[in-house]
Amino acid sequence: MIVGDIVSSVRRGERTAEAVCGEMLGGIEARDGGLHAFLHVARDAALEQARSVDEKRKSGRDLGALAGVPIAIKDAICTRGIPTTAGSKILSGWVPPYDAGVVERLKAADAILIGKTNMDEFAMGSSNENSAYGPARNPWDTTRTPGGSSGGSAAAVAARLAPCALGSDTGGSIRQPAALTGTVGIKPTYGRVSRYGLIAFASSLDQVGPFATDVRGAARVLSVIAGHDARDATSLDAPVPDLVAACDRDVKGLRIGVPEEYFAEGLDAEVGASVRAAIGDLEKRGCIVKPVKLPHTRYAVATYYVLATAEASSNLARFDGVRYGLRVDPRRDLRAMYGATRDAGFGSEVKRRILLGTFVLSSGYYDAYYLRAQKVRTLVRRDFDAALREVDVLCSPVSPTPAFRLGERVDDPLAMYLSDVYTLPASLAGVPAMSVPCAPTKSGLPVGLQIVARPLDEATMLAVAAACEHTHPPVAPPSVTKT
Amino acid sequence: MAAPRVDRALVQHVARLSSLSTSDAEADKLAGELAKIVEYVAQLEELDVSSVPPTAHVQIERMPLRSDEEKPCLSHEEALAGAPRVENDGFAVTSFVEEK
Repeated sequence: MIVGDIVSSVRRGERTAEAVCGEMLGGIEARDGGLHAFLHVARDAALEQARSVDEKRKSGRDLGALAGVPIAIKDAICTRGIPTTAGSKILSGWVPPYDAGVVERLKAADAILIGKTNMDEFAMGSSNENSAYGPARNPWDTTRTPGGSSGGSAAAVAARLAPCALGSDTGGSIRQPAALTGTVGIKPTYGRVSRYGLIAFASSLDQVGPFATDVRGAARVLSVIAGHDARDATSLDAPVPDLVAACDRDVKGLRIGVPEEYFAEGLDAEVGASVRAAIGDLEKRGCIVKPVKLPHTRYAVATYYVLATAEASSNLARFDGVRYGLRVDPRRDLRAMYGATRDAGFGSEVKRRILLGTFVLSSGYYDAYYLRAQKVRTLVRRDFDAALREVDVLCSPVSPTPAFRLGERVDDPLAMYLSDVYTLPASLAGVPAMSVPCAPTKSGLPVGLQIVARPLDEATMLAVAAACEHTHPPVAPPSVTKT
Repeated sequence: MAAPRVDRALVQHVARLSSLSTSDAEADKLAGELAKIVEYVAQLEELDVSSVPPTAHVQIERMPLRSDEEKPCLSHEEALAGAPRVENDGFAVTSFVEEK
């Protein structure tokens, strides 16, 4: 069931929120064992919330924009009374005393929080294999990764264990898993959605966004979570247009830029062909397709891994075993406690990134690495500014390959970083970007089309995504349709 | 600049700065991995960025300051609820002042 259908059936009283929620919980119980999309299922809280939505309807009050819609929440997002680990041992068993801004908005819109989803530890990874609790698996082929870092959210939506979910995207962590699982995933404009209560990874890049089985469902969730929040200093004070209505806009005459740098060496031939076919289809619908240049694309990975690790090294300093989470105390002195706690609590990728980030910020290296990367970031932004003056949106692949096998890239951190090559530039530029399914590979693995728009123009991006979806309607994996 | 030598000593220096304890074996493994990443990142030196301003944040011009008003916040009990050790209504830690 898609988001819009759930809302209308609950509003009309054809189904109760409790029945919808019960069905989802049953699905999770039956099928999540093989996927590990969830780290925590909030069964009782979800049913209670669903019943209160049903009460609200019975008493004649208006229901919100997500009435009775079960939603899965990435475990990096704080949920009051529901454990939140960010996929890390250092937060094992921690229960936040407050809700993230996005969670408050979802609850106010009568959505039902069904659980917390698996993720790479502190959102650092592209395959979910850095989760301290074991990886989530791809419902299209459980020997493969659902992508990362929001892999659990993507796997849950792909397997129809939830019609929608929240993720967070720092360098592609919503778009890449969406592409690898055949779901829709949106990274909104930087500042569009509040990060209050999102466990920070790289603050100049982090952005919360939705996953859904369909474009309109994702648009509906985004409309609910978008908007100004004074508790996040980077939150933009900008009006949010009707994003669901934007999905019905005619795309005729829209100018689509195709960055040639995104079709270079390293792109899987089948992925390239599928993405080009999707762009060709948009052309048939009246879009004007033209090549554009994003000349600094090849520097994006290096730039990102300097800036994101620098910010992470600072953000993760707060995990010291004093105020929350794990403490390992050798009872010598405070510094020994910090070291022992962080050594036991953090996984190897997190340590690697903290070390790299501390290194690029350290005395003698700051100018050569960190400051230089900030300047290259300006060049990447200028590329997007220039291209998006010529065209309305950019279309490209999301990931150079379809879902890869679990274990395939774990021993080579750099190879894993390079798989983010097409998603990092839009993150550095702060522009909105999303993944929408296009034609799968011959072996049936999903492929995503990336659509990038101007800052705050999610509406145009969604119109193009909806047009693409018209040709490629949502498809559930065989493992779901068989049962 | 000349590429830095990423070895056990550098890793352990950076680990101290990051409050991470690393064993010698772990530091050696990390040195190898970080050396590869640092070498990759060195490609940024190909670009002339002498006249390019740095980007610390995008869209700062659209970010309003919040009004300076008192707002409700976590209660004392809520703030302490997740602490590994609490004493005298505060976060308790191992002593960090040398006692004589």
